[in-house]
This record gives sequence, structure tokens and C-alpha cells, in this order.
Amino acid sequence: MTSTVMGDEVRIVEKEGVKHKNPIVIEGLPDVGLVGTIAASYIVERMGYKEIGYIESDLFPPVMVVHEGQSKNPLRIYGDEGVVVVLSEVAIPVDAVYPLTEALADWVKEIDSKLVISMTGLPAANRIDIEKPEVFAVGNSEEALNELKDKQMELLEEGFIAGPYAVMLRECSKRKMSAISLLAQCFPVYPDPGAAASAIESLDKFLKLGIDVKELLEKGEEIKLKARDLMRQTALSAPKMQKGVEQDMPFMYR
Amino acid sequence: MGIERRIIRTTWGYDGCLEPLYELEDKEDAILVTFDLPRVRKENVEINTTENTVDVMAKMSDAVCWERWGSIQKRISFQAFRKQIRLPEPIDPEKVSASFKNGILRINLPKVRKKVFIPIE
Repeated sequence: MTSTVMGDEVRIVEKEGVKHKNPIVIEGLPDVGLVGTIAASYIVERMGYKEIGYIESDLFPPVMVVHEGQSKNPLRIYGDEGVVVVLSEVAIPVDAVYPLTEALADWVKEIDSKLVISMTGLPAANRIDIEKPEVFAVGNSEEALNELKDKQMELLEEGFIAGPYAVMLRECSKRKMSAISLLAQCFPVYPDPGAAASAIESLDKFLKLGIDVKELLEKGEEIKLKARDLMRQTALSAPKMQKGVEQDMPFMYR
Repeated sequence: MGIERRIIRTTWGYDGCLEPLYELEDKEDAILVTFDLPRVRKENVEINTTENTVDVMAKMSDAVCWERWGSIQKRISFQAFRKQIRLPEPIDPEKVSASFKNGILRINLPKVRKKVFIPIE
């Protein structure tokens, strides 16, 4: 392992010999509906991406996850030369959001990422009546907006956004990097594989990997069952993340 | 809450029941509770209410089996969801209504307390 220290508080550790060629970085951290987490882990499984690193911090809970007898960091990085996926199996404590996103933004700059895409959910009160969730996009720059328009993405025109993905947009802006967020309409406090499938379909306009979401939709109920505890942890931290503000209307006299 | 309860706080039981995710919302005249019930069909949901509680028992169409995880380390299967919620205000059990769509159960529990219109003199 080679350690890339991106600050005192958060360390991003990559395996030795990992090569990057201007990768697209996909961030799928736990948030409403676990949209990003479900989507990111499905992409990793589907594309057969290898684990290329992990993220550690004293700000994270003192927890390791065990898979097939081996302890692993809950925040891990997967990918190949052209795509990097960041995911987490634990909720991100609110105190860790700024140091984590700053470290991630430093790191994606260092690996010369051409685009950072966060996948997350947009809580929809009438989600139960929505057959296929729509995806809305936010960009952090004119260049990012042009990219979204080019892909004919529907924009989230006005509103507030909150959580790691919102701070990621800002941190990438500060480093003059293009970043976008894809927000799929979702259940706020229930795992939402349907929303994750919509987010992946939009993401694939950028990746062009032809990711088929059929299996994700077929296994939706099983995923919901497995994701209950992470959803519960994530929902508990939502008020501290100011998630409620996403339902508010911003004021700007125009 | 005792120390043991805080350490061994599970969302599943040895009785084969899982605790469902749920959301409780105060809607002025009623309390709206929704439950996420994957693998459940409408005909297998049983709801019981009193003035202060709502009790949901929902049988899954297929049992879910998990092996060698957590403190269990053996095969365990779950056949149902079960949850009793203590309500923040008394409700009228006779007027409760429920619907079920795409694995989401919605229970509307009208409050006993009624709004009284106060005219301004």
C-alpha cells in the first residue's frame, strides 16, 4: 500500500501500482434513499472493478467491516484506469464531511480526474406514485453545465442541496475541477434501488459502459432488506446534515 | 436503556421477525405512519391499533436467509416483519385507514383531538 496523506484528518490510501488515466470519479456515499451507495456498489459488482484503496480517519467511527473473514475499511475505492468509484458501508458522521470532501477533492486533483460525478437522491414526497424516478443534475461550473446540457440532462434549476455531494461540488470548484451531482427522485428514509437504477442510467451517459440495470431492479427487494441497517444509520445523521433544507425555497430577488 | 441493550441492539429477532424501516409523520389531524415492507403482499399484512399504539405484522412471500454474519455465525431465516409503535397522541382506532403499494404500507391514524374554530370578535 502507498499512503497518500491528504491532510491531518483524512488519509486516502491507494494500493501500490495503481494507474490512472484522467479517470471519471464516481462518489456514492450514503445519503437519502441510499441511492449513491446502492448505485456505486452495483457498478463495482457489474463492472468487476478491483479494490484499489481505502479512506481512513479518526473522525470516522472505530468500525471495520468483515467480508469473507477479512477486515476492511468501510470507505473503499474501486476502479480501473478510467473509472474510480468511492463508496462507504457506514454513514458519514457530519463532523467528517468537510475533511473527507477536502481530502477527496485534493486526491481527485492529484490523479488528474477529468470529471467528478456524485450520485445521490432527491427526496420525493410522492415517490410511491412515481413509476420511474426522474434524475436531475447540478453542475459546479459553466463547463460542467455545458456537459450536462450536451447530455440532455434535466437541471435542478433552483433549490438547496446538502450533504457530502454538495460540499464536493464546492471543493472541486475551489480546485478548478468539473463536478456534477445526479439526483434521482427517491424515498427519503427507505433504500431505493429504483432510484439507484435511474441514477445509473443517467451516469452511463457519461461513462458509456452500457451498464444494464435489469438485475438491480430484479433484486430490488433483496437489496432493500440488506440495506436496512445502513439506511437507519444514515437517516439518524440526516438532520445534522441539514437535509431538511433541500425542501426549502431559496430567496433571490430577480 | 441498559448497557446490554445498547450493545445488543438489533433490528431482528430470534423469532424470525425483522424490524421494518418506518416513518411517522404528524399531519395535524392525523398521524401518518409508513412502513417499508419488501417481499410482502397486501393480503399478508395485519394491522392492529389501540388509542396509543399501532401494531404491524407482515409475512414475507419468501423467507430471507442469511448465513455466518455478525454474532450469529450460523444460518438464520426471517419470515416476517413485526413492529409496534407507541403513538405520540391518542388516535381513533375506528377511523384508521390503510393502503399498500409497491411494498410501502401507509396507515392514516386520525387523532382524537379535534380542531375547534375560534371566531375573532
